[in-house]
Amino acid sequence: MTVSTHARRTRVHVTGAASTAVRSVLESPRRPARVLAVFPAGVYLEVRTETEPSVIAVITGEATRLPNSVLLAGPLPHVTVGDDAYVGDRAVDLGPLSLRVRRWWDPAPPLGPIDRARLAGAAAILTRPSDPAPGLAGNGAVASLAAACAKGWLLGAVSAAEQLVGLGPGLTPSGDDVLAALLVTLRHLGTATGAERAVWLADWLAATVTYDARTRTTPLSATLLHCAARGEASPELLAVLRGIAGGQALEPALRRLRRLGHTSGADLAQGVAIGVGAVLALGGQR
Amino acid sequence: MSPLSTPSRVITVGAGLLDEALAAQAVPTTPVDWRPPLPGTAEALVKVLGDPRRQAANELAADRLTSARPHLVGVRRAAEVLPRGTFLHAGPPITWERASGPMRGALIGAMLLEGLAADEHDAAARLAAGEVALRPCHEHAAVGPMAGVVSPSMWLFEVRDEEHGGTAYCSLNEGLGKVLRYGAYGPEVLERLRWMAAVLGPALAAALERTGPIDLRSLIAQALQMGDELHNRNRAATSLLLRELAPAVVEAAPGEAAQVLRFINGNDHFFLNAGMAAAKVSTDAARGIPGSTMVVAMARNGTDFGVQVSGLGGRWFTGPAGVPDGLYLGTYGPEDANPDIGDSTITETSGLGGFAMAASPAIVRFVGGEVADAVRATRSMYEITLAEHPAYQIPGLGFRGTPVGIDVTLVARTGLLPVVNTGIAGRIAGTGQVGAGLVKPPAEAFTSALLALAEAVSDPF
Amino acid sequence: MSAEAVLVRKGAYYDSVQLMRVSRALSGTPGVAAAMVAMATELNVSVIRDLGFTVPEACPGDLLIAVRADDPEAAVAEADRQLTTLQRPGAAAEQPPLTTWSAAAGEPAGLVLVSVPGEHAFCEAYDAVMAGLPVMVFSDGVPVELERRLKELAEERDVLVMGPDCGTASIGGVGLGFANVLAPGPVGVVAASGTGAQQVTSLLDWAGTGVSHILGVGGRDLSAEVGGLSTLRALRMLDEDPATELIVLVSKPPAPEVARAVEEAVAGLRTPVVPALLPAPDSGASGGANLTKATEQALRTLGRPVPEWPSWVAAPQTPRKTLKGIYSGGTLSLEAAAVAGQGDIVDYGDDAYTRGRAHPMIDPTLRLEALARTGETDVVLLDVVLGHGADPDPAAALAPAVARTSAAVVVALVGTRGDPQDLQRQAAAFRDAGAAVFLSNAQAARHARSLV
Repeated sequence: MTVSTHARRTRVHVTGAASTAVRSVLESPRRPARVLAVFPAGVYLEVRTETEPSVIAVITGEATRLPNSVLLAGPLPHVTVGDDAYVGDRAVDLGPLSLRVRRWWDPAPPLGPIDRARLAGAAAILTRPSDPAPGLAGNGAVASLAAACAKGWLLGAVSAAEQLVGLGPGLTPSGDDVLAALLVTLRHLGTATGAERAVWLADWLAATVTYDARTRTTPLSATLLHCAARGEASPELLAVLRGIAGGQALEPALRRLRRLGHTSGADLAQGVAIGVGAVLALGGQR
Repeated sequence: MSPLSTPSRVITVGAGLLDEALAAQAVPTTPVDWRPPLPGTAEALVKVLGDPRRQAANELAADRLTSARPHLVGVRRAAEVLPRGTFLHAGPPITWERASGPMRGALIGAMLLEGLAADEHDAAARLAAGEVALRPCHEHAAVGPMAGVVSPSMWLFEVRDEEHGGTAYCSLNEGLGKVLRYGAYGPEVLERLRWMAAVLGPALAAALERTGPIDLRSLIAQALQMGDELHNRNRAATSLLLRELAPAVVEAAPGEAAQVLRFINGNDHFFLNAGMAAAKVSTDAARGIPGSTMVVAMARNGTDFGVQVSGLGGRWFTGPAGVPDGLYLGTYGPEDANPDIGDSTITETSGLGGFAMAASPAIVRFVGGEVADAVRATRSMYEITLAEHPAYQIPGLGFRGTPVGIDVTLVARTGLLPVVNTGIAGRIAGTGQVGAGLVKPPAEAFTSALLALAEAVSDPF
Repeated sequence: MSAEAVLVRKGAYYDSVQLMRVSRALSGTPGVAAAMVAMATELNVSVIRDLGFTVPEACPGDLLIAVRADDPEAAVAEADRQLTTLQRPGAAAEQPPLTTWSAAAGEPAGLVLVSVPGEHAFCEAYDAVMAGLPVMVFSDGVPVELERRLKELAEERDVLVMGPDCGTASIGGVGLGFANVLAPGPVGVVAASGTGAQQVTSLLDWAGTGVSHILGVGGRDLSAEVGGLSTLRALRMLDEDPATELIVLVSKPPAPEVARAVEEAVAGLRTPVVPALLPAPDSGASGGANLTKATEQALRTLGRPVPEWPSWVAAPQTPRKTLKGIYSGGTLSLEAAAVAGQGDIVDYGDDAYTRGRAHPMIDPTLRLEALARTGETDVVLLDVVLGHGADPDPAAALAPAVARTSAAVVVALVGTRGDPQDLQRQAAAFRDAGAAVFLSNAQAARHARSLV
């Protein structure tokens, strides 16, 4: 860590790693941003930009690596909601810190080919009752979404998804988590099993939920939906997909996913289950 | 073949710069505090580590050592165990000429006790003439504290390993002050030994017949949780043993029970000898495994510090015994101290004593004065040991098992020598104990063992 | 009036990079005319003698402190203070692991990076393999029979050994050793040469193509003694990696029997392989294959456009008589020699120069001396390698030396825009010092040849 004096105040130069989802905004010219929320292991910045991701999570090693994250090698600075920050020119300036990226990770790594038998086995595990229960357990729109996706019925899926965007309390409403995980699952597992209809469904659903996400849900959740539309997710969710693909054990990965947040993890797991069901159902159709 | 994925954590060993480059990428690292191995060991290390037998051999050795279930099964006269015309002594083999003051004193005392000499000069002359054969305790399934001299009329604890079937012996503890094991042989010393032979031994033997085998593994495990480290502190273990024995002693020898129990109660170290036999029987279970680099004995005769290694049979590897660094009784000082002596390092060899210092805050004065020093001493021993003892646990370390199974290769690689707690004997024959403290084993004992292991690698690549 | 002091500390070990930092800090202290703190290796002793010191008897395991200063005692005290601060301060009851064996028993890890002196590297790498962990052995000077043994054990344990003498690797985006900051992407690299891999991946990065993994195998892996065990394993691992769409195999000329095995393995892979075969030392081969061409072929195979490789050239230079290469990367120097087809190209990263001292990518001393020996009849070809682990600002020391020499200087600048040293700033500094700067080493060598 080195200290140098800039025009107005002393900046502490620190380094870290970042998701490639935020690469374009980091490598663009410097833009103003403001602190949207502060947590012990993360600070959310809203960048003044029309493009996504517009919310960037600056986190420490303890936080979940959301696909819009920049991971600090050191501790977070003390900042408060509303503070000014800057993002761009390959740096994030936050409080006294000027952060540069020394490592990039891929939030949407390809899975490689998967056979349908594996997928069917995983579906059985994913649909078992979970603890905690998803935030929207028993919600009619979720059931309609699952049914429509399994039939490859785009209009039904889109109508259900529209009811779910922004549904529920918190920074990432349950409805958004279900949709985000569904989008990621359809895209990755659809590609991995050659289920083109599933990828097609992911494309159209993604277009629907991202179209007006910024006005219908929280800024963070809108950014995460945009990420999910491109197949980008947190390592916990990706680990479940790898578990389904056979690259690692599924059940421990599923337990870790479900432990995230209050019901966030359970909501994501529900989205994965809907996605797996849809990919299985749509896999036969070409 | 595990798939390629981002390492969650990287162990770095060597240049700090490369570790820093990872930290700058927000990759957690575990930096190894590496240092070069002990001088002259680099080539041997490579050979020995590359020995295809080593890993399995060490796993077996550590497993046998830690799974031993020592039970105190009896007390019997040494004459039943000893070869005729032989005295046993502590440490690696030694001759009268090379023996130190306390070793000579104890041997003289044994001659007098056995009626083999008229007086101390006569005893010395006869010993110098080789009238009695001197053999290490370790060669006869025995161990002895300090001088460790065993002669036929003494009584021995008999400890059996119920897991692997071995048997080991250790003399009965005389107490502190002027005692034979510290090289004292005055009339009061001999008188006490005669009483032990006539009263204590038979009473304990009879008592043990009534109690049946006493589980020393569980007793030691309990004592560790009560603040003993089982080498320099045996207060809890002695109390626990006394509790087991007392009713049977009263029943078996009603006439002498009060004397016997008072004697045991008056000696906080009474358990040490039983504990040493337990340690010996456990380490013996791990002997003779080809390719194993695990230490199965560390012992000193007051002149040499010797080690034996599982894969190298009964060979001794020695270096000069050091003078312990510690606290002295009364007006004694380091100039009065004899170099390190005794088989009691069998406790460290089996994961007790200095290795369990963190369990014994009451005696941290020996290791520098602070509880943190004791914790540090124990923690450092995990760096040179192969296993953690499943039964011997340290409450202060979250009931982590004690470090056990010293690996010669790890000693050579880290330069870290076993932490040994010990009593200090007076330099002059007949003085007795002058203090207690820590002693540093000579590195060459371990390096020469390593070189021998390298020679013994049958399949050098 | 300055006085001298030379001290020998028996058996005090520090790593060469740490000592270089101490030497540097000490030399910069007011009142200190010259200072070197180093392990007493043959090379270091001769360097200290060259500084005019009388060096007492010492062996390579000893630490030498040599100072010429107004107050040598104070300077030695300062050296000691700096050395003490190098010792990691441990919390009272914490015991840092002293061996890889002990570290592997601690918190779960995914990789071991070994950079201890070569004669001791086997033990640490062995621990990693026995713990089932992949290991990168950065250390050089490991005997070849130990390399073979290590890789045989790794076969039994089904783990990858990268190295020994593996300077560069990258796994899942984590840069190890001398690696550049790269974005994830479809190209996997198997490399018998660290700087070779850095050249290929830096060019790919410029072309906007990312890298899945760089698996280094060490310069001797394809020899008959080692039999290509790591290369074959690395190829299989990349073939099974879903993120890897194309493999670039950077290798030196393999032993014939190993070449066959590698060819067979490559033929059996689903993933296309682009070879980047480097010329053998002293083969006299010129032109032909080089790293830049291999990179271009990789881009074409992926169906991606091949860009113009950038250069930063100040003013045109007049022709000179001789070509001198002052390299820090072994492979880059071989490539330069092959492309230029003439001149005296020296690799200062060679074992002979690095025993007991830091690599020239970190410590510019030897190359600065070499630059100072050049004159107006020379064309100097210089490589500057950026990335993790490398000198944080190579231009700071080298650019002034470039400006001072009357030789024509051509720089091969190997790095990415994401590198900590800032590629553009480094390029500008060398250009402003009068050098012609190229991202492609082959182009730099060709340019240098054109000046002779």
